[in-house]
Amino acid sequence: MTTSPTSALTAEALGARLPPLLVAADRVASTVAQGVHGRRRVGQGDSFWQFRRFVSGDPLSRIDWRQSAKSGRGAPEGWFIRESEWEAAQTVCLWSDASASMRWRSRQVPVEKRDRADLLLLSLASLLLRGGERVIMMQQGARPVTNRSGLERLAAALATAGDNSGPPPDVRLPKHGTVVLFSDFLSPLADIKTLIGRFAAEPVTGYLLQILDPAETALPYQGRVRFRGLESEGDAMIPRVESVRSAYAQRLKAHQDGIAAICAAAGFGFGVHRTDHPPETALLTVYEALAAR
Amino acid sequence: MIFVAPWVLAGLATLPLLWWLLRVTPPAPRSEVFPAVRLLLGLNATEETPARTPWWLMALRLLAAGLVIVALARPVLDAGTAMAGKGPVLLVMDNGWASANDWVRRKEAAGALLDRAERAGRKAALLMTAQEGSGAPVAVSATMPVADLRARLAAMQPQPWPPERAAAADAMEAWHDHPDASVIYVPDGLTDGPDFDRFASAMRAVGPVTEVCCDLGSAALLMPPTSEADRLLAHVAQAPRVTATEVSVLARSGDGRTLARTNLTIPAGANEASGPIPLPPELRNRLTQLVLEGPPGAGSVVLLDERWRRRPVGLLSGDLASADAPFSGSIYFLKRALEPFTELREGNAATLLKRDISVLILADRPLPPGPERDALEAWVRKGGLLIRFAGPRTAESATSGTDTLLPTKLLAGDRQLGGAMSWSHPAGLAAFGAASPFAGLRIPDEITVNRQVLAEPTADLASRAWATLEDGTPLVTEMPDGAGRVVLFHVTANADWSNLPISGLFVEMLRRLVDLSVGVASTPGTATLAPVETVDGFGLLTPPPAAAVGLRADKFGSTPVSPRHPPGLYGPESGRQVLNLGAHIAVPEAAPPISGATLETVKGSARERALAPPILAFAIVLLCADMILSLALRGLLRTRISATASLLLLLAIPGAHALEASSSPATDTRLGYIVSGDTTVDGIAKSGLEGLSEYVNHRTAATLFEPDAVRPGETDLSLYPLLYWPVTADAPDLTAAQVAALNDYMSRGGIILFDTRDSGSGAGFAPGTEDALQRIGHSLNIPPLAPLNGEHVLSRSFYLLSDFPGRFTGDTVWVQRDQDRTNDSVSPVIIGGNDWAAAWAIGPEGDNPYAVLPGGQHQRILAYRFGVNLVMYALTGNYKGDQVHVPAILQRLGQ
Repeated sequence: MTTSPTSALTAEALGARLPPLLVAADRVASTVAQGVHGRRRVGQGDSFWQFRRFVSGDPLSRIDWRQSAKSGRGAPEGWFIRESEWEAAQTVCLWSDASASMRWRSRQVPVEKRDRADLLLLSLASLLLRGGERVIMMQQGARPVTNRSGLERLAAALATAGDNSGPPPDVRLPKHGTVVLFSDFLSPLADIKTLIGRFAAEPVTGYLLQILDPAETALPYQGRVRFRGLESEGDAMIPRVESVRSAYAQRLKAHQDGIAAICAAAGFGFGVHRTDHPPETALLTVYEALAAR
Repeated sequence: MIFVAPWVLAGLATLPLLWWLLRVTPPAPRSEVFPAVRLLLGLNATEETPARTPWWLMALRLLAAGLVIVALARPVLDAGTAMAGKGPVLLVMDNGWASANDWVRRKEAAGALLDRAERAGRKAALLMTAQEGSGAPVAVSATMPVADLRARLAAMQPQPWPPERAAAADAMEAWHDHPDASVIYVPDGLTDGPDFDRFASAMRAVGPVTEVCCDLGSAALLMPPTSEADRLLAHVAQAPRVTATEVSVLARSGDGRTLARTNLTIPAGANEASGPIPLPPELRNRLTQLVLEGPPGAGSVVLLDERWRRRPVGLLSGDLASADAPFSGSIYFLKRALEPFTELREGNAATLLKRDISVLILADRPLPPGPERDALEAWVRKGGLLIRFAGPRTAESATSGTDTLLPTKLLAGDRQLGGAMSWSHPAGLAAFGAASPFAGLRIPDEITVNRQVLAEPTADLASRAWATLEDGTPLVTEMPDGAGRVVLFHVTANADWSNLPISGLFVEMLRRLVDLSVGVASTPGTATLAPVETVDGFGLLTPPPAAAVGLRADKFGSTPVSPRHPPGLYGPESGRQVLNLGAHIAVPEAAPPISGATLETVKGSARERALAPPILAFAIVLLCADMILSLALRGLLRTRISATASLLLLLAIPGAHALEASSSPATDTRLGYIVSGDTTVDGIAKSGLEGLSEYVNHRTAATLFEPDAVRPGETDLSLYPLLYWPVTADAPDLTAAQVAALNDYMSRGGIILFDTRDSGSGAGFAPGTEDALQRIGHSLNIPPLAPLNGEHVLSRSFYLLSDFPGRFTGDTVWVQRDQDRTNDSVSPVIIGGNDWAAAWAIGPEGDNPYAVLPGGQHQRILAYRFGVNLVMYALTGNYKGDQVHVPAILQRLGQ
């Protein structure tokens, strides 16, 4: 199942029941993009910011004649120019893991982890675009998307992303932007810590959603099984899988706790989603974590 | 059951070891892909017990291993007892004609006995007692290993001639220097000549003899049949048996059909039996062979040639001048009676006798002493049938008493019955006696005899009379003479003396008489006839063997079959002769068993069966099952099972039929016929249009699909370029809707071909259709018509035609008069009565079910060509009209 432009529609339908997402941003990435985040300074925007006196050299067309008349003073000191607040859009960087381990599903579920990640990514992007935010894929040379018609482009970009494994590429992120990462985060904790540290230094904040297959949480195998990894991690020969199930669950829990701790330290959010659960719940989780309150 | 290599069974002792090994080796783990494998690395199992191989899998493997060991020990079923002797084994096998029956069993028996020799490690040699087709003399083969000999034995076939006992005895005597040898003898159960005793003693001299006997069938021999009046007499010979034997003789024609069948019973202890094959002469002339029902063999086939069929009949009249005069000539009625079933020849006696002739008929021709009578007498003694008719001349010459070639002495003069001056009445015929060849013929009441010649009463006159008058005077008498026969009709061959010659009975009587005669072959005796097809050992006609050479035509009666002269067909098509095995062969005589021989039945010497191959095959199946189960246990099959199953399912589905006729006439061009309501006519129309469509598709670039039945007013006519309308006499009047639909169709360029199916050569075939056409035509907008001629586009649209036949021909076909320029001068109607559909029709077997009248393939071709022109006309309109104007155009260009 590859992500194709049609899945943009699916993703939009998925997010249709949620209101447009306006990212909570104390500081907005410094871009010229028009948005809804007021910058408390003069700039391009729809909201009124201030009147100021006419200065020689201002174009006559910018004079607010109504306000000038109310002032009751003569020209040119009685002339006022209407200025609006600079309203910027927050830039949200999205990334979904395209590694081989994401291209996998157990026999119990019909979707691969990566398909679910792509679906959630696109739904989130759709919500963000409806909220007027800028969305950019965390890819080399990716261009930001600002309106809803760009959703198709995102979907196409996902489809052509290929199977490049490994951590997100080290692209230049807009400062004070927001980052949302979809992955199974099964790499060692040290790698994750490095990654989060890199983001925190930008500085950007964000959210990590760990997408897991039910088989990865429950380990439903029996008997003598040789487990093979997908990213050359090596093989694990388990004589009786039943006997290690609880130990595995403990390890997974510890891993997740570790990620949560790293995220909390850097101001990131962290959530877990299983592919046998409906995607709406995961979307809601991410929405709530990002939304401005 | 024995084991050839019993020591291999010791390997069974290793099975417990195998069991132990399988037990301690855990099964291969299942393999699973798992992304979170990193979390599993280094996880130590709390419980160390490995999974066990399931007990049933272990049992399966042990069974497979055990079977392999048992198979390697080479078990043999039905092993026979050992043979005497230690040296080479001589296999003597009869392969003459009598061994064809049961040939496979004979070979099996020989093979089984050879098995024993092979097990004992002995070599073997082979002696076939009948000569090969190559003409190689009977000889003992080189001594060779049994495996090589078996290959040679497999190639051996029975031969269509008898074995040569003397030559075989010589061969065995020449083979004497092998010490401690023994003999296996597979006999055919017959002595095959006087040398059997010598043969037997030569065999005993070689060594101890094992003879296969007692339950092999012995062959019956079909002899050439003899001709009788209305039947062939089949003869079957065989060695006498203690019980009566039932055999059936089948009479076959050249195409392999069985035309008659006769059951014969050979009584216990008897050598021979005969039985008639009753067949009318026409069918009898078609016979090519007689076959003994049962196992095929050269002895159960007799080929028939001209001698059993063609009966040349010579006609010789007393007064040559008026012999042929209509109704009064002496041989006028004879000729007409004989012509249908014989080959008639005329001429003087010398000319007639120059060629072979079966029957000679003398119509009132006295035979005074002289060269003619001597020649005739010699001819009759050789087997000729002389039929004489009396008459005034015969009655005259009888007084002299010099005519000896008569069945009975005649009284001088003739006897007149009835007439103006007589008290007596013309006499009728008495019923034929059972011994007469005319027995069973029905005598019409109206036959009367007015005059006849009278036989001089003798003691045996009654037994010589084949037909008598009601008062007992003989009418037809006969006398055997040598191999032939003389038959006298005491009346004339014309209607002067009796009305017998103008009755159907006369024809039947002549036919019976001619059938009595011996057939002839029409080849001169000195010509050498080459073999064309010969009978092989199994009674099938095959190309002649290498040694076969030609045979002089006059030697066929005396040559026994041999590799040089195999039984079969000889000579060119016109003068074919046959050489039959049964013609010159001694009556079969049962051969006694070789004295002192060990007797083995075929059943007892049943082929030893090696059990190793089936056991090994079963073990392989078990191992395959084990592999599949192991894969399943390792989880490797799960994903593939569905794929394999679907693949198997795909393979199981027979190839779907790709050609599905499109049901819509809008998407493809098709012809239509208007339903008449008469199923026969509609069937002809449908198959006719099918045939035409096929022809058009084959010959032209047009592609027509299956024709449709069309009902005007219901079907949308505009989709059909051409409608065929077979008019029936009881065609109902058209409704207003139908009239509207048809008129609309015609006005928009559609073409209707009206066919009354009753004109020209077929006048009267469908009465009343003309009137029906007029009735129908009244309501339609039929334009003014003109006869279709060679100038019309329709005669040029594809083929250049000058007449337009269908099943019938000769009547005018009408088209629109060429005046109306609407529709580009394309005639909306074509009216004729040639029953085109019947000419075009193709039956379910791909044939043309309806004959064309007056006939000929050319008429059929022209009918199809007219159909093609019609379709082209309907499809292209006046496109070819230019061709009609070519002369005018050329003329204009020239100016």
